[in-house]
Amino acid sequence: MAKKKGDEKVNQTSHSDNEEQNFDEEPNFEDPEGFVDDITDEELLADLLEQKPKESDGYENVVVVDGCPQVGPERLEKLQSVINKIFGKFGGIVNEYYPTTENGLTTGYIFLEYSNPQNAAEAVAATNNCKLDKQHTFLVNLFTDFKKYENIPAEWEPPAPQPLKVQSDLQWYLMDPDAYDQFLVGVGTGVALQVWQNALPEPTLLQERPNWTETYAVWSPLGTYLATFHWRGVALWAGPKFTQFQKFYHPEARFISFSPCENYIVTFSPSGDRGDDKKLIIWDIRTGQEKRSFPPPDEYVTWPIFRWSKDDRFFARLGTDVLSVYETPGFGLLDKKSIKIPGIRDFCWSPTDNVLAYWVAEEKDVPARVTLLELPNRTETRSKNLFSVADCKIHWQKSGDYLCVKVDRYSKLKKDKNELKYSGMYYNFEIFHMREKQVPVDSVEIKEPIQAFAWEPVGSKFAIIHGDQANIQISFYQVNTGQAPTLLKKLGGSFNHVFWSPQGQFVVLANFGLTGGALEFLDTNDFTIMNVADHYQMSGIEWDPTGRYVVTGVSSLKCKMDCGYYIWSFQGKILRRVMKEGFAQFHWRPRPPTLLSEKQQKDIKKNLKKYYPQFESKDRMRSTKASKELVAKRTEQMKRYREFRESASQQWTEQRSRRLELRGYVDTDQLPAAAGADEHAVEEIVEFFVKEEQTVIE
Amino acid sequence: MKPLMLQGHERAITQIKYNREGDLLFSAAKDSKPNVWWSLNGERLGTFNGHGGVVWCLDVDWQSIHLITGGGDSSCRLWDLETGKNIATIKTNSSVRTCNFSYSAYQAAYTTDKAMGHPCEVFIIDTRTIDDSISSASSILKWEITDSKVTSMIWGTLDETIITGHEAGDLIQWDLRTGKKIHSIKEHSRQINDMQLSRDGTMFITASKDQTAKLFDTSSLELLKEYKTERPVNSAALSPILDHVVLGGGQDAMEVTTTSTRQGKFDARFFHLVFEEEFGRVKGHFGPINSLAFHPDGRSYASGGEDGYVRVQSFDQAYFDYTFDYNRD
Repeated sequence: MAKKKGDEKVNQTSHSDNEEQNFDEEPNFEDPEGFVDDITDEELLADLLEQKPKESDGYENVVVVDGCPQVGPERLEKLQSVINKIFGKFGGIVNEYYPTTENGLTTGYIFLEYSNPQNAAEAVAATNNCKLDKQHTFLVNLFTDFKKYENIPAEWEPPAPQPLKVQSDLQWYLMDPDAYDQFLVGVGTGVALQVWQNALPEPTLLQERPNWTETYAVWSPLGTYLATFHWRGVALWAGPKFTQFQKFYHPEARFISFSPCENYIVTFSPSGDRGDDKKLIIWDIRTGQEKRSFPPPDEYVTWPIFRWSKDDRFFARLGTDVLSVYETPGFGLLDKKSIKIPGIRDFCWSPTDNVLAYWVAEEKDVPARVTLLELPNRTETRSKNLFSVADCKIHWQKSGDYLCVKVDRYSKLKKDKNELKYSGMYYNFEIFHMREKQVPVDSVEIKEPIQAFAWEPVGSKFAIIHGDQANIQISFYQVNTGQAPTLLKKLGGSFNHVFWSPQGQFVVLANFGLTGGALEFLDTNDFTIMNVADHYQMSGIEWDPTGRYVVTGVSSLKCKMDCGYYIWSFQGKILRRVMKEGFAQFHWRPRPPTLLSEKQQKDIKKNLKKYYPQFESKDRMRSTKASKELVAKRTEQMKRYREFRESASQQWTEQRSRRLELRGYVDTDQLPAAAGADEHAVEEIVEFFVKEEQTVIE
Repeated sequence: MKPLMLQGHERAITQIKYNREGDLLFSAAKDSKPNVWWSLNGERLGTFNGHGGVVWCLDVDWQSIHLITGGGDSSCRLWDLETGKNIATIKTNSSVRTCNFSYSAYQAAYTTDKAMGHPCEVFIIDTRTIDDSISSASSILKWEITDSKVTSMIWGTLDETIITGHEAGDLIQWDLRTGKKIHSIKEHSRQINDMQLSRDGTMFITASKDQTAKLFDTSSLELLKEYKTERPVNSAALSPILDHVVLGGGQDAMEVTTTSTRQGKFDARFFHLVFEEEFGRVKGHFGPINSLAFHPDGRSYASGGEDGYVRVQSFDQAYFDYTFDYNRD
């Protein structure tokens, strides 16, 4: 039909054109003999065909509701009112049709037409699979869907194989033959990012991009991805060229957290416009799929809101009197319900096991309690009651061997205008021995205010900085099996932060703040101070993942002057000073845990002497090469400078006569000392009075 | 070695200079009395009394007969060095920022600030016969600087040119026969605080607020070298005997009260002239260094600081023994 119409129109227009040209004679419009019409309609009148009404027009507004009760004409009105009530919520129903069987009963399916397709789509989304009553469940579909499903071929056709998209090697940074580590430097308020390789003898720049992120950038926990923030969401970059790996559309996302195995990422956009229930989204990193979204937290909570178990199997969130544990990959609540824990204040997963520790505040006569909870079976493996508790902090040791709960305790409690005031504070460190039977607990008490606490990541030591500002001390303890922790060493010094090497044993003590900058590099095996140094106004410290280097930095976000970073060896030898205006952040690229077994590691340590000369000679070769390059560069510079000097001094010599003329023929070209010392020097002895002393002689 | 501390000024030092022989050291400060010292032992020889305010600049002629000074009291003064007598006073419309004798000392140049509705101007005066008549004599040549004002100035070789350094970082070479620009370059992004010639006058070094010092060819104004720091550079000097330069500066005087000496970086910093590499620092001042000068024999140097002290530091043998590794053929 439509085609015919189009044909006529074309004929008419050409007709009228001809009329204007020639009024007298009717020309012959017959196609010449043998003419083949090889112009398709699509080519000729694509714009008109576009407007051709489609069958789907108007049908999109129609929904088919199946599963309705079958009623006779006497109850039809009631059914209609019920249906109208339910489906009227989504927009005005402009048309309805209740088909009936021969004997007057409705067929159980009805057609409803809305005024626009949006309403219809909403109705389908909201009411499909909704129960009307016990017997009847609505099955709601768009009318157009039927059309779609009608055309499904009876025979299944295997999908055509997709061409293989070559994924760049995500682990390339671990393949460096010299095991150099990489680091990220952010410049400006997180505008330009640089990725460097900490090569010897000089770091090399791998990648630099202006405006790579809008705020800041972070590495994923195993170092595979680099995450950047943009107004449309979060982007991940990976591979040797840092190509975009994935992007997550979440406008104004400000916070992210990765799951420990890098399977999932949580984004949080406090002010984004994706709707209230999409403030928090969990995504699958590899597919980019949105796995589940959550409404924003009710009140101020500490980030990360969701904390993951070590294997990505569970993630948990703290609520009022409740702990909600979710399970992957289903993303539903574990056992379909949250765990009720009245008064729960904080929790923390073990870094190595599916165990979490939480603490419950004191309530009237019920003491505060720290509990270890095993998941998914929800068994409490250990709990400890504590009295007069103001606050608790949970510190897991990185190898999961120990748990320390720092307990702030008070001796007096005063209630003042609904505000609790604690006085006579003292501090307990409750040490849980996770690897021993029944998890014994030891306690260390310190009466002074605590500045910092830190576990040795590998090993059994921990450090506490305590004392008031004027008299700060650092205590190192050793945890023992079967007896209380022993004090290893107590040191003085004005430090407020302690940083353990990721490999243990070595520690850096630091003093942050506007007047700070003091650094001390310590070996905790025998507590020798390897070096004392200084990085004025330093605002951050980061160990490299292998424990070979330490970086101290002054960020432009904290301090406007002298921003930049210093790279030190673990012994405190300064290796490099980089001053950079606008320097904002520094992050070492993390490494996944080693694949070597413990035995292999031990063997390497034992045979270190064997490997040592190899590395040593390699390093020496590199540094000689570098110094050779430097010497060559200097030689070249000197050569060019000499050339300039030659022409300059030639000019100078030429001007000698004019110089002499200007200074009355006194030759001042020579240094006065050199010229005068021999000929005109007059030696003069000057005596001057030093001191007079009077002594009485008997 | 322990430095000589020359305590004679009540306020910040503005400029210091040795005479050609190096036996005398002159210092000007924000108090009104320039001083002259024996450079050997740091004993004060005398003061030049007459200025009524800050003395910004001074210069001594090659025969050590006359001294020229310029100051904030809108005057440029000539002194008899031996007696300390103020021979002549030239009244100006605004502060005198720079003043220098020419190579022959037959002429001198001074520049004034753009202030109080008066433009920045350059004056060349005849100094062949110095007596009170200079005070009223008109200058040989003068011209107006319309863009950013002159903050430092040196004579080129042979009394033919002068080079001015400007507030905006420009360097301009002027032909004194015509009063026209010969070269104009902009290698610095901020104010040029100081310029000093090499011993033979073929090169000069600039010190700029843009935290760098740069080496130029005196005749072509070609940029030869650059020395970078993290602080404004107030002064830079070239060693007369070695390929060394010394840079001094530090945090802006205005911000000093809020910074400790540790952060201010008030050290004198030594760079290799050719390799542009820093090889030494000398601490001591507790304010920024405003002026530096090498002794003409190259065996000591002096620095004058915002703290009001002049420090004369002799080099240890280690300084002369230190060499850079490069191919010498």
